[in-house]
Amino acid sequence: MTDEVKPLILVIEDDPQTRRLLKTNLCNRGWRVIEAENGKNGLSLVKSDSPDLVILDLGLPDIDGISVTKRLRQLSDLPVLVLSARSQEQNKIMALDAGADDYLTKPFSTGELHARLQALLRRVMRTMNNMEIFQTGELTVELARRKVFIAGNEVHITPIEYRLLSILVRHAGLVVTHRQLLKEVWGGEHIHDQHYLRVYMGQLRHKLEINPARPRYLRTEVGVGYRLVDDGDEES
Amino acid sequence: MRKNESGNEQDHQISEMRLNRRRCSSRLQGYAWGIAAPFICTLMDWPLRHVLGPASILMTYLLGVFLVASRYGRGASIIASLLSAPVFAFYFAHPIFSFAINDLENIIGLGVMIVVANVTSDFLERVHLQAEISKQRENRANALYRLSQALSDAHNQQSVATIAVSHIYDDFGALSVLLFPDPEFHLQYPSDMPLGHSLRGVDLKIAQQTYQQHTAKQTSESTSSIAYYSLEHSQIIQGVLAIKSPAGSDLTNPKLVTFFDTFLNLISQTLERLSLTEQANNANLQAETESLRNALLSAISHDLRTPLTRIIGAGTALVENNEDFSAEEKLDFNRVILDEAQRMSELTSKMLDMARLTAGEIILHQEWNALEEIVGSALNRLEKNLGTRPIRTLLPDHLPLLWIDAVLVEQVLTNLIENAIKYTPAGGPIDISAELLAGKLAITVSDYGRGIPQGMEEKVFDKFYRLESESHQGGVGLGLTLCRAIIEAHGGTIHTTNQYGKGASFIINLPIHEPPELNCLEGMTE
Repeated sequence: MTDEVKPLILVIEDDPQTRRLLKTNLCNRGWRVIEAENGKNGLSLVKSDSPDLVILDLGLPDIDGISVTKRLRQLSDLPVLVLSARSQEQNKIMALDAGADDYLTKPFSTGELHARLQALLRRVMRTMNNMEIFQTGELTVELARRKVFIAGNEVHITPIEYRLLSILVRHAGLVVTHRQLLKEVWGGEHIHDQHYLRVYMGQLRHKLEINPARPRYLRTEVGVGYRLVDDGDEES
Repeated sequence: MRKNESGNEQDHQISEMRLNRRRCSSRLQGYAWGIAAPFICTLMDWPLRHVLGPASILMTYLLGVFLVASRYGRGASIIASLLSAPVFAFYFAHPIFSFAINDLENIIGLGVMIVVANVTSDFLERVHLQAEISKQRENRANALYRLSQALSDAHNQQSVATIAVSHIYDDFGALSVLLFPDPEFHLQYPSDMPLGHSLRGVDLKIAQQTYQQHTAKQTSESTSSIAYYSLEHSQIIQGVLAIKSPAGSDLTNPKLVTFFDTFLNLISQTLERLSLTEQANNANLQAETESLRNALLSAISHDLRTPLTRIIGAGTALVENNEDFSAEEKLDFNRVILDEAQRMSELTSKMLDMARLTAGEIILHQEWNALEEIVGSALNRLEKNLGTRPIRTLLPDHLPLLWIDAVLVEQVLTNLIENAIKYTPAGGPIDISAELLAGKLAITVSDYGRGIPQGMEEKVFDKFYRLESESHQGGVGLGLTLCRAIIEAHGGTIHTTNQYGKGASFIINLPIHEPPELNCLEGMTE
């Protein structure tokens, strides 16, 4: 992101206090913020103001979060971060499967919020720049040559393992749901075969992690999916 | 066993039916023999009429009558004895071939024979009757015994109804149905008709009257009559039995009434026992819910108010006397607010989890999951709390996938690790290990603290139980209760021991299921 044009963030949230807090926080970090108190207004603002990113609360009074996510995806490819309460676990996963890019569970700290937003904006940059090399910690993935290195040593991984890894790299720093991974690697008819995913992610972890039971790169989000940690997130 | 029993009952029934039929045909046969016996005696005595005296001839007639009596009972023997008199008079008493008798000896002999024949047959008849009655008694006692046996196994109204209906059918040959009241005290047909010999076409209005007025009622239709009996014991009516008497028999028959009443009594008693058990269970549950609510209230009021007091204190100080504080002091107040708010957030989420899980049965969303991932996720979640503690994870390679609800099992591990953090000095190591045993996986979380005090190993899993040293810790005493509920819902177990050289160890045993196959996946893609 360049200094001249500050990213524009649309906050769709019905609670005025939360909205106020988000706005103050985001403005302090140098982002421009527009607000909507319900789904309908939010969607029209997306059309009129074309923001760079949307923060969407899942418990809206008029339209449910999943429908809003679906309509947002029909309108554009812009990054969407959903906010969910603990009681909305299932909604959260449905929203992610419907096309939301990541989630935050309330209550969250500003640190977490900024890390997620950074990762989302980076994803946009990556797709624009057509990234060739991804690097985080000691892990390097050369996308053009389909090669993976740990601390400079090449690691031999199978085609399926590479496919899984490349999807996670494309969404580095963001959560990727089980469904997304199963669909992209094995095809739509296998979206319920979670054990495929467990086995291959396990193999990948054993090849890339020093301690697979306490992974540094390939994080599990239990019940949701996997997240490849991007070092940039940790710093912010 | 039950099948066997009903088989026996069927045999018993068939034999009774056969007996009835035989009785009827044997009566006709008896009369025939009663008529035939005097003539047979005559035929036997005729060639010997010159050798034998009239007294001996009378004795053979008496023998004939006696044999008929012993075999076919009173009716046949009376016919035989009455017929014997004219036959004797005709063939043997002077004048022969005439019914007249002029010998006084013969008249007396004949008289004695008739009296003796009658007395004997009367006596024999009584013996027969006695035997029959005691046999019937035995049958009824057996029927009641079988009923009470079957009822003692009944564990709900439905099973009582099934047992009662099938026993009434077996022992009375009658179709019947038990009607129970719904919560508004309206009698309802049972929702499912489990048996072929359940009675249909009951008049619910009459049944309802029976239920409300505590009286037996009877309806008479052209073909059959249905009787309604209230099932009553110690003044409380449990339901109504509607019964259709089989053709030709009547349950109000005084011979059957006592038997049938005992039958009804047994059924009513069982129903009462069941309803009392249910009441006791409900009362227990209510008491438990009540005490749970109280404990929760006190826990909430203490554990949520303490941080709230501090937050409000710091907040008002900042808002009201903002200028009086240095930058450093302000930062201090802000830190207090943040720390306490975080504590409250943790607490509320734990209480919400507990409320969700104790509100009803735990619903598991089981999928194939890798233990490694769950351990990793739990540790990641607790990263901040763990600080620099050494965590040793000893998970063997190639563990089988587990058929579990990952979110809930992660919560169990998180709770156990959190406990270890709470009860051991900062920097103390925590071990997480797994071991594959026959048919199960044992997961152990151990710390190096002081361990669980002896005798408290089971108590720590109780609701709202806290070790004394914990009172200053922000726990509610629900964490381990939650863990146990979750693990048991998975068909596993959780317990704690103090391991030698370590502190407390929590051991989870989870069942291993046959893992699914991977169909040469690697080949499919390229």
